[in-house]
Amino acid sequence: MKNKLFKNFTITLFIGFLFSATSLAQETTVDDYRMKFDFNTFKQADNSRLLEVSFIGTNKKDRKDKAPVFEADIEFYNFLNEQEVKLGVAKTDKEGLAQLTLEENQSYLVDEEGYINLKAVFEGTGELDSEEEEIAVKDLYFELDLEEIDSVKTVLLQVYTLDSIKSKVPVEEIDVIFSVGGMLSKMPIEEASVENGEYEFEFPEGIPGDKDGNIDVFVSLEDHDDFANVIQKKTVNWGVLNKIIETESNTLWSEVAPIWMYVVLTILLVGVWSNYIYSFINLLKIKKEGKELESKNKELS
Amino acid sequence: MDDKNTDKNSNNRRKFLKLGLMSSVSAVAGASIISNLVPEEENISSVEKVRLLTPDGKMVEVDADKINKYPEAYVSPAESRKGIPDRHFVMVIDLARCKNARKCVESCQREHKLDYHEEYMKVQLIQNNEQMEPYWFPKPCFHCDEPPCVTVCPTGATFKRTDGIVLVDNERCIGCKFCVTSCPYSARQFNWGHKDKFDDKSQPYSPETSIPGSEGTIMKCDFCPDMLRQGKLPHCAQSCPMGVIYFGDRNEDIVTNGEETVRFSELINDRGGYRHLEHLGTKPNVYYLPPVNRQFPLERGFDVDEEIIERYKDVPYVKELKKQGKL
Amino acid sequence: MNIEKRKSELVKEFTPMLRKSTTTSKIWIGFLIAVILVGMYAFYIQLTKGHEVTGMRDNVVWGIYIINFIFFVCLSYSGAFITGILHFFKTPWKNSVLRIVEIVTVLSIVIGPIFILLCIGRLDRLFYLFMYPRIQSPIIWDVIAISTDLIGCFLYLYLTFIPDFAILRDNGEGTPKWRQKLYKSLALGYQDTDSQRERLHKITKTMATMIIAMAIITYSVLAWIFSLTVQPGWNSTIFAPYFIIGGLYSGISVIIIAMYVIRKFYHLDHYIRKVHFIGAGIILLVISLLFGYFTFTEYFARWFSHKGPDINLLNTLFTKYFWEFIFANYIGVLVPIVILFFKKFRTIKSITFAAVIAILGLYFNRYLIIVPTLETPYLPIQDTRPEFIHYSATWIEWALSFTGIAVFILFFILLMRLVPIIPMSGIIDNERNQKGKFNESTKK
Repeated sequence: MKNKLFKNFTITLFIGFLFSATSLAQETTVDDYRMKFDFNTFKQADNSRLLEVSFIGTNKKDRKDKAPVFEADIEFYNFLNEQEVKLGVAKTDKEGLAQLTLEENQSYLVDEEGYINLKAVFEGTGELDSEEEEIAVKDLYFELDLEEIDSVKTVLLQVYTLDSIKSKVPVEEIDVIFSVGGMLSKMPIEEASVENGEYEFEFPEGIPGDKDGNIDVFVSLEDHDDFANVIQKKTVNWGVLNKIIETESNTLWSEVAPIWMYVVLTILLVGVWSNYIYSFINLLKIKKEGKELESKNKELS
Repeated sequence: MDDKNTDKNSNNRRKFLKLGLMSSVSAVAGASIISNLVPEEENISSVEKVRLLTPDGKMVEVDADKINKYPEAYVSPAESRKGIPDRHFVMVIDLARCKNARKCVESCQREHKLDYHEEYMKVQLIQNNEQMEPYWFPKPCFHCDEPPCVTVCPTGATFKRTDGIVLVDNERCIGCKFCVTSCPYSARQFNWGHKDKFDDKSQPYSPETSIPGSEGTIMKCDFCPDMLRQGKLPHCAQSCPMGVIYFGDRNEDIVTNGEETVRFSELINDRGGYRHLEHLGTKPNVYYLPPVNRQFPLERGFDVDEEIIERYKDVPYVKELKKQGKL
Repeated sequence: MNIEKRKSELVKEFTPMLRKSTTTSKIWIGFLIAVILVGMYAFYIQLTKGHEVTGMRDNVVWGIYIINFIFFVCLSYSGAFITGILHFFKTPWKNSVLRIVEIVTVLSIVIGPIFILLCIGRLDRLFYLFMYPRIQSPIIWDVIAISTDLIGCFLYLYLTFIPDFAILRDNGEGTPKWRQKLYKSLALGYQDTDSQRERLHKITKTMATMIIAMAIITYSVLAWIFSLTVQPGWNSTIFAPYFIIGGLYSGISVIIIAMYVIRKFYHLDHYIRKVHFIGAGIILLVISLLFGYFTFTEYFARWFSHKGPDINLLNTLFTKYFWEFIFANYIGVLVPIVILFFKKFRTIKSITFAAVIAILGLYFNRYLIIVPTLETPYLPIQDTRPEFIHYSATWIEWALSFTGIAVFILFFILLMRLVPIIPMSGIIDNERNQKGKFNESTKK
């Protein structure tokens, strides 16, 4: 009897521990994640420069399980040889992105080949290792012009960098994409291989643009080894006046019905209800007559 | 005599202590078993949590940034009757690429908090005739320009907006189901009973999100106007791995499937786009590109649950396959 | 003849009918109340658990409730139609049937809309129909039509009751106090003077004309709920006349059955004679022929032009619903025709039997109009849940249907306790006219 009790007891204990163990094992720790630190730079249409770091952990066992690092301080530096200039600090948001925007007039330390050397640093904590990434980017300028030359709508592009004395140096060969802005995304209209810093092409026909006929034309460069990401934009009123759909009213499916329906309904209802009222009035007359007769009979008797 | 008694007593004491110890430990073990067996209470609250790593290496769960950023972005039922200005939304579905991945169905169900069998976007297997192979046919609500459902609604609970979207206002619907019988595309569904998710009051009701639903009212695909107001594609278009669903504005003539952005008129005209049951005069706003030069063999689409394959048992092609034992 | 003496004679004749409460009637009323209680319980379940408890699901969203609604409202409209037409006939025999028809009219138009209410998902929002109506919607036309018709039929019924209330009020010895008071207030001081009688006849005549017109218009509105959609099987141009004929079909049958039952249980052989049954039978014959003709036209055109969705619908009708189809469109039409065509077969019992077959056939016909169309939509139903593919009514729907019928019969019985089923004033009018004719002929 004793042995049985003891056996049961140990079995229960064992099972209990197993369950607790499995439940404990469901918690993941930072050691299960491999950290990814990506640094990129974008030159915007207003010539400001955006520095962006993406700091996300991926579960080693399940690549779909991503845990972004939140509120981590990322420091951005511009360095040249031994000199380091701190450009700013940004915290990562709930998607693990830290962004810092530098104005057009920001001055950078540029090396002999014309590269701006940028560094993003995350100072490690006890649990997370420190991260650092460097990129070197040259400052590129897009000049976008939209003109009608000989009644042909033309898009003209100039691509250049500025040398040390601020004179334009056309870029020899670069591949860019021209696109037109839409509500949800940009639509490419031309893929161009720009040579000697100049390119022009005919703007395609029939693009409607927005309700006033304005079209946003973009030229963009993505993931270039030297220039990273650059985009430029210009708006022009070349939209073909499109047939904006008029919402009809007084249809079967609009709020206000066709007028003839109101008319017919009123006629029918007025006809029927006036008959009811007529009957009702006559009933009242019958009642009155009956009452008079009764009172007369009462008088007589 | 005394010794025997004390012996007995000490024996009893020992027994009692042992019993007490064992019972308490087994109680604890039992409790831990039970607590692990009982499933974790599901948070009825729809507040989504995201798992984040803090710089200190701790995993935390934080409220996700609500996509609609209530209360600022809240669109009341009265406001939702006006559309997004100067737009007219269209959808183009490329039947040549659809392989019944059903990601559109699942993401729509997830974002609109639908149950397994409730599908705003249905994927049907249509075989036009015996000579042709069937094709996978994703079917949302077509948001027709001359909608028969809006015409017959007695209280104006379903309405067509200036941007082409047809919405349902669950606070006006009386549940007469006339619209369900008049839609030729079977796009509308009815909430037949009470579901717990209807009690979720964490966000105010807007016809643009269709959340929360309501018992005894109608629900259907809404083209996700809450996403459109933020410049994002509807959930089905975003989640399709093949880029089957294009969405855009007919006024600016541009549609996109997330990867490619093309001109709507070119896409329709170059690829022979058509509308389903055009002769009924409903003027739908979902165009289909015929299943020409299919990217995948049809059988890839049967890589789904048995229950889903059962749905298509009346399609002649499926009957053939079953006869040949290939399904 | 002394009119007053005649009136008291009639009252004495009919009074037992107003008070009689035999064991059979008690049992019968008890049974009806039991059915109604079951129905109330079923309604309670539906109210608390939602429409899940019915058999309706996402494809067949309109089931037994709508079929009952159409059935009862068609009964009512056909009753109104017949009443209106009969009013303009000067035959003496019409009098016996008149009140039966009118009561059928009024009761069905009260019960029919209750079935629609059972089908509505959100009863707490019913008043939205009056706050936010969209007049492009056929349902709003139906709401307006039914409410107008309801008031019209009540008014018309009341107009025909007034002279009888007056007679009962004047000859009320031995009647309980509450009945006296009731008759007095309802009779509206009608003393059967010439001017009063003429006034009453005038408004009754205008109401009768109006009722005929309303019956046709409101009938068509009901049919348009279906025929103005694009669904195969519904989008037919002759739906409105088809519904009118179908309604008349069921209306006449119900009247025949009511005549038979009332004649039997109240021993009114003197008033409801074979000539009535023959007359109603002839009308039933004509209507059956018309009904068969319309039904054949509908299905023949669809079969011949074999459009895809139509052929799908016909396949469903001939496979899943084969026996119902045969019963509704063959047996239900041919049996009454055969019985009524040959003079030999025209007995009271056989005519009633034909009426019963006709009513059942029409009910199946309505079922076959509503449900198969919803089961064969343009885009195939690709679902695995059986209740979503095929409609089968649950006990709740059947219980509520029988409750509707029970309420109909119960209120009929109660109304017969209020006022004699054969209008006394009608009998007096006939005799007055006959006497007048006799006097005229003797004068000559």
